Amino acid sequence: MPRRQPIRRAQESQPLDAETIAKRTKRHLDELERSNYAEPSGSYHGMDEDDQAGKSAKGRARQTVSDKRQLSGPSAKRKKANMNIRTAILYRKNFATLIEESGLTNISSSIPTYLTAAAAPPKEPTRPLCTVCGYWGNYKCKKCAMPFCGLDCRSVHDETRCERRVI
Amino acid sequence: MRRAPVIVLDNGASTIKVGVTTSSKDVRIVPNAIVRSKGDKTAYFGHEFDACKDFSSLHFRLPFERGYLVDWDAQKAIWDGIFSDQVLNIDTAETSLLITEPYFNLPNIQEVYDQFVFEEYEFQSYFCSTPAALIPHGRLFSAPGLPNPECMIVVDAGFSFTHIVPIMGGVVIWSAVKRIDVGGKLLTNHLKELISFRQWNMMEETYIVNEVKEKCCYVSTQFSADLETCRADKSRNTIVQEYVLPDFSRNRHGYIRQPDALPVDGEQILYMGNERFSIPEVLFCPDRIGLHQAGLGEAIVQSINLLPEDLHGMFWANIGLIGGGTMFPGFVARLMAELRPRAPADCEIKIYESNNATTEAYHSAMALATTSALTNLAVTRAEYLEGGSGYCRRKFGTDYERAGNEERARTPPASVPAKARSRTVSAMKRR
Ligand SMILES: [Zn+2]
Ligand SMILES: [Zn+2]
Repeated sequence: MPRRQPIRRAQESQPLDAETIAKRTKRHLDELERSNYAEPSGSYHGMDEDDQAGKSAKGRARQTVSDKRQLSGPSAKRKKANMNIRTAILYRKNFATLIEESGLTNISSSIPTYLTAAAAPPKEPTRPLCTVCGYWGNYKCKKCAMPFCGLDCRSVHDETRCERRVI
Repeated sequence: MRRAPVIVLDNGASTIKVGVTTSSKDVRIVPNAIVRSKGDKTAYFGHEFDACKDFSSLHFRLPFERGYLVDWDAQKAIWDGIFSDQVLNIDTAETSLLITEPYFNLPNIQEVYDQFVFEEYEFQSYFCSTPAALIPHGRLFSAPGLPNPECMIVVDAGFSFTHIVPIMGGVVIWSAVKRIDVGGKLLTNHLKELISFRQWNMMEETYIVNEVKEKCCYVSTQFSADLETCRADKSRNTIVQEYVLPDFSRNRHGYIRQPDALPVDGEQILYMGNERFSIPEVLFCPDRIGLHQAGLGEAIVQSINLLPEDLHGMFWANIGLIGGGTMFPGFVARLMAELRPRAPADCEIKIYESNNATTEAYHSAMALATTSALTNLAVTRAEYLEGGSGYCRRKFGTDYERAGNEERARTPPASVPAKARSRTVSAMKRR
């Protein structure tokens, strides 16, 4: 017992700082936006084999799916797509890039846009839930600040996910 | 002059709701995704997903990211299928289009919409609107013998986010629109995490977990008490459900087991306890997952506070719900419980529900498309060829006029040809 104390104290004296926790939360929120778990959010290399081939070909040759469909009907293609359409199809930009290129960041914030429309933070903070079982999380892990409800859940937390990002 | 048929296309980030004015067929709901099934060894484009048999570990390629259209290759592949003889069997060049776009769509993305509509599909004319702005044309707020209210708030809880959209005299008040970055996608992914940590690893099973969410989840009106109930031992826990996970090798979907049913060999059971209500709860307390935005009740108040004070009462009395996220059981009761204490005591609060919140905007759009009013709102192909995207923005921009008034007064109207102008900036003036 006395032997273990110093180690414990050493651990507890280095809690994650607010910035690290904020980063962890941000990463988690990004993960909640993923369309598929096994790839980073925003990745579009969905059609794996084809896309891998497309990328490896000197990084230039881009594979598309829309021009390979065998469709019939009165709208079936009469002519080749023009430059605007080909550009849109070949060069996918992620949302962050599109925001950057939209010019929205340079205009007056009195004009309502995507950037101004997010709901303001709540007046009252929300009571946290135990990250292990989902009951009220009245205690916080001293190392990583994640809430837990009691001793049982704390030990599960310590063994499985302490300092990891999952909420 | 005969009016061309109109394709009504509510282009959601999760599903497309589509139909034609000249057809008697009901709305067609098409996944807005290219879905690859390992089990079926096939990739399904949009409507082809109907043929999917093995729903395990599906891979999704979605044209939308964070609620906005970014992958035009995927989107075109899905649209092409819809216009082909497999679905609508229609010549786009002989047709007009009414399509929805996201709230606060980016000007540089809007430009690509215009290009696809006129340069690729060669529609005769088109009108682009946000889903909420179509609601005044529909029946969500309809009361017997009364016209639609002049002031309304449309809450649209979608796949990517939730918007609170005040509308006055048919015009969206953009300066008071509020967004909460919680939508169906986030809720499903959050449920995936909880299940995977507590019971079964289902991180790759978006489709299955989404089904669990739709079948089991509800919005609690007594969160604290429900949490306690879920802590109680099994015999007294009236909330927990046993969800029998699907077995696609036997062509069996997942289902909730009846409380008295006997277990079957080889079944995999997922216990849904406090997950049933703590998932939709995120829309009412986004703070809990670290998203520092007000919950739905408080965000509605934030929106109303930005509206003319003498009209507040009319907005409180006309709140309508659209989007799949509003369809959880208990949603209306909970929203009412959130709003009542926040509203002036003498003020009437009324919440309007749809029979099908997912297709409400589609049906409102269809109502508009069958009237001649659409002709005045739409941009023709000739007008686009003459005036470019700038013309489309100005014409569709009527919705934004109120919000953009002061800005407009300071900025002289653009006289430079659309092509030469920086469209990105000029398109913003309307706001
Ligand atoms: Zn716990
Ligand atoms: Zn910890």
